[in-house]
Amino acid sequence: MATTYGGYMGKVLKIDLTTKEVSEYPFSDEERELFIGGKMMAAKILGDHLKGTEKAFSEENMLVITTGPLTGTGAPSASRFNISTLSPQTGYITSSNCGGHFGYYLKKAGLDGLILTGQCDTPTWIEIQNEKVTFHHADDLWGLKTSETQAALDDRLRMKNGRVRKNGKICIGPAGENRVLYASIVSNERVSGRGGTGAVMGWMNLKAVCVGGNKEIPVYDKEKMVKHTQKWFRYLRRHPLTGEQLPKLGTAGLVSSMQMKHILSTKNYSSGQYDEFEKVSGERLAEEYNIVNKGCLTCPIRCARTVEVAGKQVKGPELETLVLLGGGILNNDLEAVLRWNYELDELGMDTISAANTLSYAMEANEKGLWDNGLRFSETEGISRLFEDIAYRRGIGDELAQGSRRLSEKYGGKEFAIHAKGMELAAYEPRKAAGLGLGYAVSNRGGCHLNGGYLVILEGLGLSVNQTTYHGKADLTMMFQNLMEMISATGQCLFTSYAFFPSSLMRHPNAWYTRLVNAALPYCGFAVRLMNKYPELLKLHLPVFHHTKGFEYATGMKMSFGHYMRCGERGYNLEREINRRFGVSADKDILPARLVKTLQDSEDPRSKVPLEKLKKVYYHARGWDRNGLPTEKLLKKLQLEQI
Amino acid sequence: MAKVKVRLYGVVRLKTGMSAFEAEAETLDGLKKQIPGVTPKEAKDLIVLVNGEKAGRRCQLKPGDEVVLMSPAGGG
Repeated sequence: MATTYGGYMGKVLKIDLTTKEVSEYPFSDEERELFIGGKMMAAKILGDHLKGTEKAFSEENMLVITTGPLTGTGAPSASRFNISTLSPQTGYITSSNCGGHFGYYLKKAGLDGLILTGQCDTPTWIEIQNEKVTFHHADDLWGLKTSETQAALDDRLRMKNGRVRKNGKICIGPAGENRVLYASIVSNERVSGRGGTGAVMGWMNLKAVCVGGNKEIPVYDKEKMVKHTQKWFRYLRRHPLTGEQLPKLGTAGLVSSMQMKHILSTKNYSSGQYDEFEKVSGERLAEEYNIVNKGCLTCPIRCARTVEVAGKQVKGPELETLVLLGGGILNNDLEAVLRWNYELDELGMDTISAANTLSYAMEANEKGLWDNGLRFSETEGISRLFEDIAYRRGIGDELAQGSRRLSEKYGGKEFAIHAKGMELAAYEPRKAAGLGLGYAVSNRGGCHLNGGYLVILEGLGLSVNQTTYHGKADLTMMFQNLMEMISATGQCLFTSYAFFPSSLMRHPNAWYTRLVNAALPYCGFAVRLMNKYPELLKLHLPVFHHTKGFEYATGMKMSFGHYMRCGERGYNLEREINRRFGVSADKDILPARLVKTLQDSEDPRSKVPLEKLKKVYYHARGWDRNGLPTEKLLKKLQLEQI
Repeated sequence: MAKVKVRLYGVVRLKTGMSAFEAEAETLDGLKKQIPGVTPKEAKDLIVLVNGEKAGRRCQLKPGDEVVLMSPAGGG
């Protein structure tokens, strides 16, 4: 459905892979105003179809690929797209956000989104050029790794003059084909990693999608947008996190800080410190392996690394991979981590879930629960093991199911580190209580970002008391809503760090920063007021360029308060969909290791006070005691029809 | 004067090109003046740990102390 707003192409295509029928999916301007784009748009589409009885691997599931209104408008770090589906890993809705340039080219093809349903009878890849959909056989691509697949597709898109037609691609590797529950979808070197989206694509018999075209991406007020964007870029380049730390060290630069703050997951989250962390640190990566920084389209941050492994230049690991395949399995061989990171991307498998499943298996073996031959710090044969997982051979077939299912079979649920079936990120939450809450309540499972990333206040940015529960629930809700909306607009979540004034991040020892650190936990009531009545904030914050950028790109009115309300709507929408699949308070849990066992035996607060936090959080969210949105709240958020 | 071992992390390590050095100082303020290539203003913003514990600028150093100097970092 055409739109009167800028930033949107005004069309979402639905492709039924079983019948090969292509149709336009209606999405009105009223829906755009409420659900914006990205993961929120996808949740609206999924919410209109899923009843709560469907399975991830079934004709009833959908793979919904969406862009945001800022995608491709020139706004900083706004080339992103989102993939949502019913996750085979959790059984609930998952959303996975990805950089690169597929999102941009999807819009150049004239589309805001793509809905894939059904199952091809034979392996297939789809080409979309200026809205025109062509199905191609992919028998010869099936079995190829992700870079081989993309290279082969480039050959097919080569024009008579020998040049490859400009395009964006997504594809799966062998892990997706073989339905490893945490298989990823790869786009160039970027990865839609979490939740098993690649396994759903594999079930669909869909190897790849290539998009391209020459449609113009409309911007409501081009002149103002250009001026604002220039200012925005300058701000991000001057900010200590987005202009210095991330460009110089990437996300891997956090390893040392995490070690000092006791939040570096080590030996399957049994400790928050790794004695040999320096050998697998961001500093060492930068000093000895980094060749060049890379960034997505229109991104001034350029957080990605290119490293050399066995004479080949490949993408370097993110923090999560570095930590979980480093100290997580007591491995101090950085070169091995670089190699595994590359191999997992090639096989199309989420590095976080793969690493945590591996560390669970090692501990299960150590404790005599499962005789699998895997031991902490013994790293020989792990490359082969990852292949076995992708091709579901031997023990790999079992590991392909993830730590939750393995712990149900072999025991050790207390150290199977997942939430709702999805393995946790690299931050050990017993010394980051707010993040612990976020992991537990996150809609997609053990995710630091969907969880609100409160660790940015709890040691990685600011230095708020790490173990207190005061204020954490309200702050978690605020950051969840904020990040929900940033993601929906098509921007990278790293732009959210600019929400923190530069001076606070740059001067951690200044009196005002120390004051903020001390006062923040006791500002819960003020944060709650803001969360409850965001419409009172009818303004643009000087440090938060997103709202004005959104207005200039789309022509929709967007104050900071409205922005937060939209994020709240998105978060509750996913919760409502998950309710249909049985989510309530009893599913917002963490493994016993994190809530019952002290990280530091001399510090009684070094565990996640989850029940206490959940109670406050549900109240702050306006949910009932069972953790479900009330009718009153749904009405307020205009979700009563969902 | 106490002889201490200093370890550097984060952006400051890339800036100095050093991962560690030894220094003699009585206080952290005195120590911060000895970081090669780092101005006193920049040094003021470094996070400091002495023997694994966060330390204030007036902290008295003892021989054999291990001091960590780290640039502020966040977001991942």
